[in-house]
Amino acid sequence: MALNRKIAYIDLTTGEITTAPIPIDLRRKFLGGRGLDAYLLLNHTRKGCDPLGPDNRLLISGGLLTATCASATARTHVMAKSPLTGLLGSTNMGGFFAPELAWAGFHHLVIRGKAKEPVYLFVNDGKIEIRSAKKLWGKTTTETQWAIRDELGDDEVKSLVIGPAGENLVRFANVMTGIKNSGGRTGMGCVMGSKNLKAVAARGTMDIAIAHPVEALEYNKRFIEQITSSKVNQTQGTLGTPFIWGATNSWGGLRTRNFQYNQLEYADDVEPERLDEIAEETCGPHHMAGCFGCQVHCRAKYRIPSGPYAGRYDEGPEYTSQGAFASEPGCTNAVTVLTGNHLVDQYGVDNLEIGSIISWAMELYELGIIDKKQTDGLDLRFGNDEALLEMVHRICQRKGWLGDTLADGGVQASEKIGKNSFDFLIQVKGMSNLHSDERATPGLALNIATASRGSDHLRSRPAIDLYHLPEPVLRKIYGSPVAYDGPLSSEHTEYIGKPWQVFWQENCYMAVDCLGICKYHTVFLGATHPNFEDWPKVIFHNTGLEFTPQQIWEVAERANMVERLFNLREGLSRTDLKKGDMLNHRYFDEPTRRGAPGVVGRFIDREKFKKMVDEFYKFKGLDSEGVPKAETLKRLGLENEPTKQI
Amino acid sequence: MAAEEAKLSTAEVLRETRTYGKFRCHNPSCMGRLEPKAGDKTVRCPGCGMEFRVHWIRPDFPRIRGPVWETNRKLAEEALKKMEDK
Repeated sequence: MALNRKIAYIDLTTGEITTAPIPIDLRRKFLGGRGLDAYLLLNHTRKGCDPLGPDNRLLISGGLLTATCASATARTHVMAKSPLTGLLGSTNMGGFFAPELAWAGFHHLVIRGKAKEPVYLFVNDGKIEIRSAKKLWGKTTTETQWAIRDELGDDEVKSLVIGPAGENLVRFANVMTGIKNSGGRTGMGCVMGSKNLKAVAARGTMDIAIAHPVEALEYNKRFIEQITSSKVNQTQGTLGTPFIWGATNSWGGLRTRNFQYNQLEYADDVEPERLDEIAEETCGPHHMAGCFGCQVHCRAKYRIPSGPYAGRYDEGPEYTSQGAFASEPGCTNAVTVLTGNHLVDQYGVDNLEIGSIISWAMELYELGIIDKKQTDGLDLRFGNDEALLEMVHRICQRKGWLGDTLADGGVQASEKIGKNSFDFLIQVKGMSNLHSDERATPGLALNIATASRGSDHLRSRPAIDLYHLPEPVLRKIYGSPVAYDGPLSSEHTEYIGKPWQVFWQENCYMAVDCLGICKYHTVFLGATHPNFEDWPKVIFHNTGLEFTPQQIWEVAERANMVERLFNLREGLSRTDLKKGDMLNHRYFDEPTRRGAPGVVGRFIDREKFKKMVDEFYKFKGLDSEGVPKAETLKRLGLENEPTKQI
Repeated sequence: MAAEEAKLSTAEVLRETRTYGKFRCHNPSCMGRLEPKAGDKTVRCPGCGMEFRVHWIRPDFPRIRGPVWETNRKLAEEALKKMEDK
């Protein structure tokens, strides 16, 4: 059954491998996936450890429900100390890897050390082998996956890999699986590269016994019906995540030209409907694909229709590639978006980070802070599609002064570039945010400022607040499973009520990350999607474990607090612009200039923002500096951490 | 667990609130319900004057593709001017 999946400890320096069961009391405290990984990271790393050194731990996991009869349990989680931010590194991706890992007998891998030469791990039906990856080094992400399958003689092998960006220690390199399933943000591919670990391959045929199989399947039908009947998922299944980019651009919530604007006008050629047309023209009418056990099918298949990469196959693009290769650099050409998306997938690099950092460099170039000497002759102005794509190559290959500088991430690059370059870097905790503009939406601004891995939309974003749901609906969602009778608001410009809404979402997102479920199956974009009340049934039928909705909330709160403890240990402080819960000054000082009339002229009020953070800290049980109070740690059973139970 | 099973969760109850054939104006300070006629390519919000291009996911399922750019720019500039005049 799911509960007998093990944890493996792998030392790449010595070659030693040990395995252990996961104690049931830790399951009850953290479930699995991201929550248990956070516990392991805090317990197995020391304060100040070098993110690229052998002592950093790389954690790879599935969730508690991975590969059971539950719906959409495809998510693979990877965690380590981040080489980009120096704080928590964490990424979560879809595809098929985590279920294969579970069928191979494992839910969690803890990897330490550094191999003398390139290696990959092969996890197969309870056994783990370290194999040479000398022949794989230098290959792209898809070449690597096919080469591993060829070598092992099994087309069913699923692999997590790095591409050239990870090998070159680009600090925002991805871990990848499949064509485009990307473990982006915080540079987990760079950590793999630093360990000379090219890939982790898995193949499993070990059954997972389901505790109550008939009931599990019966209930799952109800769950699937709830998911597939929602408007947001039907739109996702037609247009993929680009539909979110389209909607966000429509009202003016899209970060454009490195935050100078909040809307990409006349963007018809890169709108989701146009990208869908290209996918249909090049890959036929059935061009939407899905991850393991998912019915939404939000991933488009396409071929690049023209240009130097014409005919190349890829999947996506997602919202983030539209941001990286359209709105941020000010480009409006679909082929540029599709090509850029293909390049980042093949190099294995974070599209979000690379798009942000190139657009930052474009603004610095237009302001004269850098010039052609630093760009090696490249005319790095906004709207220059060729320069944009050339910079992707240079960064991933660390080629030229600017390519090498930007490959170290924004904060380090700003120190090297100097002058006032840091003022224009749109980041939180050293990580660029989603290509979105939160100046008109204080609740979303609070979310990105306080998210545990840096500026991030996938940790606590109250995105449904933009639907202007009536208050009784908000009460139904945000008033459970923990009673709350304070203010709530779906007014986008409101500050009051948002701290609770962000706090609630933080726990909701953590819960699905512990279970291994995709966020499109919870209250991320759909108010009618399952949440705390629904999960106990799924957990019970599949694993036999009994939880109340309140207990799942408590697990999530606890896991979020462990991430906070890790960040505090590594230097997080409330108002630090590089390592704190703070926003770039442009959020407070420069009003928006485009978009719908209700968005134009908006900016974040500094005092009200401070009050929101105060209130958010109060809900989390933190003091005014963002440090957990002793009673909070005791309530969550964390007063003795790190306890090193496993 | 059986008793809980029979009960609809909050998410399931909220399903009754879904509406098809309509969408909300993308101006967040308006959010008026708009109901384009079958096959309409654009729709104007009577509440705030925003004008949108319409995409049909299915014949009964419209969504906003994006704003009509000229109207969008005009309204944004008017809103900015009002703010500056204040």
